[in-house]
Amino acid sequence: MERETVLKGNHADTAKREQQEYIEILGDTVVPSRILLSVIISILFSIGGFFLGKTIFPRLAEAKMVPSYSLLLGIGGSVLALVLCARLFQPSRILRETETSSEGLEEVLLDLQADPQAEYELLEDDPVTRKELEELGILDLFKRSGGG
Amino acid sequence: MDVLIVSILFALLGAIIFTLIGLVSGTDETAIMVPLTLLVILLGAPPEAVLSFFMAAVLSKHLTHAIPTALMGIPGDTLAVPLIDHASTLRRLGVPHVALRKMLAGGVIGAMIALPTAVLFGQFLGQFADFFKSASGLIFTLAAVLIAYFSKGKWVSVLMILPFAFFIASIDLFSFNLVEKHLSISFFLGIAIGPMFSDILVSLSASARKSLLRASAKEYHLAPEVKGWKGFFPNPFAVLTGRQARQTAAASFVSSLTFAFSPVGMTSLMGEIVGSRNKGVYKKATSSLAAMNGVTESTYIAEAIIPLLAFGIPLSPVALGPASPLFNAPPVFTSDPVNNLHNMLTPGEFFLYGLLGLAIASLIAYPFAMNYARAATVFVMKHISQEAIVGMFIGLACLLAFYEAGLVGVMLTCTMAAVGGLLNRVLGVSSGVQFMVFYGSGFMMSQLLGA
Repeated sequence: MERETVLKGNHADTAKREQQEYIEILGDTVVPSRILLSVIISILFSIGGFFLGKTIFPRLAEAKMVPSYSLLLGIGGSVLALVLCARLFQPSRILRETETSSEGLEEVLLDLQADPQAEYELLEDDPVTRKELEELGILDLFKRSGGG
Repeated sequence: MDVLIVSILFALLGAIIFTLIGLVSGTDETAIMVPLTLLVILLGAPPEAVLSFFMAAVLSKHLTHAIPTALMGIPGDTLAVPLIDHASTLRRLGVPHVALRKMLAGGVIGAMIALPTAVLFGQFLGQFADFFKSASGLIFTLAAVLIAYFSKGKWVSVLMILPFAFFIASIDLFSFNLVEKHLSISFFLGIAIGPMFSDILVSLSASARKSLLRASAKEYHLAPEVKGWKGFFPNPFAVLTGRQARQTAAASFVSSLTFAFSPVGMTSLMGEIVGSRNKGVYKKATSSLAAMNGVTESTYIAEAIIPLLAFGIPLSPVALGPASPLFNAPPVFTSDPVNNLHNMLTPGEFFLYGLLGLAIASLIAYPFAMNYARAATVFVMKHISQEAIVGMFIGLACLLAFYEAGLVGVMLTCTMAAVGGLLNRVLGVSSGVQFMVFYGSGFMMSQLLGA
């Protein structure tokens, strides 16, 4: 039930999305309440898995292997938490699938403080690079902007 | 089971996990490498398998990190930051996939050159090992000062060395009273997750959260991808021109020898040198990218292997950060006294099992990134939230700390993460400085206070 509302809030309701405040953690934006829940869920699952292992493995395995197996179950718990949190909390990032840059080559070159004419002349004497650009289909761009 | 087979399995595991993690941009190397490598060690993997796992992980992670760097113009990790300008030039020329291919090919070549170079150089430096081991406290302290000065905080990082050492020694003593052993895993985990932990703390603080608030979700622009070769496994030497391959090889070789310097610094420096030797926008960008990505691999590999093989004590930025569990993961590995891969593997084994890891990573991450870069990026961007990723790493760190020392371990990790993370984020005292101070704190306090 709760999951549905979260998903809805994320996908459909764009007006609400604009009012939403985000915080930036390690270079990406997250919703404050969700990150807290996610940390709590992950800690509970991973340490919970470890405790579960401590209770059940003494009956199943040798005593010296119990801590290692329990640790493994704890990792299982944290992976489960990752899957659960990824499903509960959809990413808030916005992905735009842009087409190839539509800027003119000349603009790009000028912005990089390169001279289109000189660029073209360099290519004249450099068959290797010239061939690469030709295969990529952008040699003509260089020709047009530099070769006149 | 045969050690070789176990090593192959662990290398496969490392390659697969880190190929996936590499797709997540902006992930901090230390925060991710440390807990996962510790897990492998504590689960009882043989030393050979630990090395294969680590090498496969490093190469896979860096190779797939090239994807967000090239296709979206955001650095995959801190090492990718110097590559962003050249990558964005190619994006603007409409050929981001070329940036990606050149980086991937450069990375594989760099890794293959770094390993033998590092093993040979490590063996050579090994003659001085006794001196380094006996003077380790002093060396850590001097290195802490040096690294501190070159960190973002500059003088404040230098100034904080003694108070931070005092702080570490104090909580070490208190936790020793409680659990009757000196903790170390809990310390490094705290330092490793510090930056993300402090971001969460800041977001909870009514007064400080403004600095992290954003009005809208972050936007990512993903460029189209065009496949330009037949088959599944493009030959790296065919992706690069002969000149680019030679320059990448040379840059990787030189940077493998400078194992005590910062990998980001070496990457920028080598990029500048190669860039200045190539004229023309396209040629400069592609040549620099190939060489720089080669250098990110070679510095990482050499900085882990040289100190490990030669001294057994962590004496490089990588050895103090992402590779620190290879040196110190008690009770399995310790660096004081030295009882880790340094004693357990011969130089020949370092080469063999390192190569195994690199080869398996090349077989998995390289064709994966070449063929599925765009589809995989879209999947991660759309389905795996940052919330879930950050949550998982904090959960893993707490699990490992709990494994080391129960609730005391978790408390210690959270305390270190809060203090270290805020020092890092607010004052610019980097994790490398903090790890150095951790290793040197015993020496500093005994010299200064007779403790």
